[in-house]
Order: sequence, then structure tokens, then C-alpha cells
Amino acid sequence: MGQVLNPDELRTALETAIKGNTANASPFSLAWASGKLSRDHLARWCENHYHYVGPFAEYLAYVYARLPAEFEEAKDFMLQNMYEEELAADRHTDLLIRFGEACGTNRARILNPDNMTATTRALQAWCYTVAMREDPIVAIAGLVVGLESQVPSIYRKQTPTLRDTYGFTDEEVEFFDLHIVSDEIHGERGYQIVLEHARTYELQQKCLKICEIGAQMRLLYTTALYNEYVGAEIPLSDLGLAA
Amino acid sequence: MPKVILHKGGEVFEGDVAPKTNLVVSAGIRKFPFPNLAYKCGMGKCSTCTCRILAGADHLEPPNWKEKRQLGERLDEGYRLACQLWVTEDIELAQDV
Repeated sequence: MGQVLNPDELRTALETAIKGNTANASPFSLAWASGKLSRDHLARWCENHYHYVGPFAEYLAYVYARLPAEFEEAKDFMLQNMYEEELAADRHTDLLIRFGEACGTNRARILNPDNMTATTRALQAWCYTVAMREDPIVAIAGLVVGLESQVPSIYRKQTPTLRDTYGFTDEEVEFFDLHIVSDEIHGERGYQIVLEHARTYELQQKCLKICEIGAQMRLLYTTALYNEYVGAEIPLSDLGLAA
Repeated sequence: MPKVILHKGGEVFEGDVAPKTNLVVSAGIRKFPFPNLAYKCGMGKCSTCTCRILAGADHLEPPNWKEKRQLGERLDEGYRLACQLWVTEDIELAQDV
């Protein structure tokens, strides 16, 4: 039996588990950040990304329902997170669709599940699985810490490029702007909940493992986007990566 | 560390925040100015986080398109949306109840 980590140690371990597989390192993200993607590529991203983030409130709802009643603060956070995704102002997915329309696709194509890759389906299915089957604290570690907390660093890198290099307007890229603020709150609150409630060795190890897997899933998803839509036009060597 | 002074409902709340802090993010993660800063959407749409800057406005980025859309002429009176601001220096602000 290993030793229970104190909250500082657990936080560092969670961050390390995510860092090794950050989606920032995927060829799709590198091509995006360096301004090499076309609007068609970005349209395909929207048609996939919708099916990953669109059900996010549903993933959280399963976790919310399974959290014990005495975890009141954690439950309230899940509710607030769901509310902010869907109702606080514009529905977040509507802003994603607006960006997609600016890239040349349309609402119907984005909503159509036939337009996502098999890997995007896998990521969506993994999120549902985690939400429905894992210990709720482990699920928060996977979905909120492992996935959602990565978003601000990804979008902070990508958003200026969307404006300055790709030429999108502020309104067209609002989806990315808002996630820098809201996901920073959600990610950090996710950390706080996991640090507070994962107080046994077994639970901590499960949280670490699921963060690692979550980050791997996101990396797998973005890498598949590159392979499916971009690789034939922009080789890895153009992105400073070994083929 | 920037010092933040928040006037609200006749009370004054003071706290230090890390450089480049968004006060809505900070309140959202239960740090200062939680629970005294009102906010809702965090995306520059609802205006719940509107504050009047009393001191330190010079260190802020100019208002962005969301603040212009939401606040209009109130910008000239010193109002800003806290969710759109990243605080890098000392600041004093007031939020109407």
C-alpha cells in the first residue's frame, strides 16, 4: 500500500499526469497555433468538437446524480458548471456553431453525428462511461481536471491566432474567449473537489490514472483530426515533428 | 501582488491577488473577492459583474468589444465588466448592489 498524498502533492501529481499527454502537443494543435490550418480544416474541427463538448452538461449530470448528498459543495459546483454551459447567457455550443458557420460549415452539418470521426465517437463514449460508471470523485478528476482544465491553456494559445492570422472577428471567436474564463473556474474548482475528497491511497491513484487517460483521450482525438483531415496537406515535418 | 479594494453595499473588502488575475475567475474558485463580487455568466453578456473603477484604471487594457456592447456610454463614467479584466496592478473598484 502506498502513502496517501497530501493535497499539495496530489495537485502536483495530477498536473504531471496531465502534462505528459497535453493536447497542446498534438499535430492538429500545433498546425492551428502556427496558422497553417485552412477554414475547411477548422470547419471539420467544429463538426467533431460539437459531439465531444455538446453533451458536457449531460456527462456532468450523471456525476451530479451519483454524488452523495453530503458532498453538497461538490454537487452545487456540478450544477453551476452545467448551468454555465447551457443557460447563463448564450449556450456554449451555439457559440461553437457560430464559429463553425464562419468557417464555412453549417448548423445541420455540425449537429449531424455522421460527420464526426470514429475517434471523436470514442472520446464521447469515454466521457459518458466515466460519468456513469466511475466513482464520482474519479469522474470529476477525469472530466473536469483531466479534460476541462486543459482548455484555457489550449485556447489561450489558439485564440490570438484565430484573430490575427486567420482573420476571424471577435464575435466569431467568442466561443474561445469565454472558455478561457469559465473553464479556468471549472478546472480549478475541479481540482479543489478532488483534493478535498480523494483522501485514500486507492482513490488518489484512480484519480491520477483517469487524469492521465483523459489527457490521452484528448490527445488521441486531436491527433485523429490531424490524420483524418490535415495530414495529407500539411506533413508532420512542416510542423517541426518527426514523421 | 496587486492589491484589490472592493466597495460594495457600504462595506470595503481588501485582498491581494496574483498578477494577471481575473476577479470573476478568482471569485469563481472561492478566493478573494468571493463571496462579495456578484457575477453570473463570465462571458461579458449578463453585466452582473459590472464595477466602477475608482483607482488604477490606467493599468487596465482598453475596453473590449463586449464591454463596449454591454456598457456603451457608461464606459465614460468608469464602468467596466470585471469578467473581462485582468488585474496586473493595484485597483480600487465599486460594485452597485
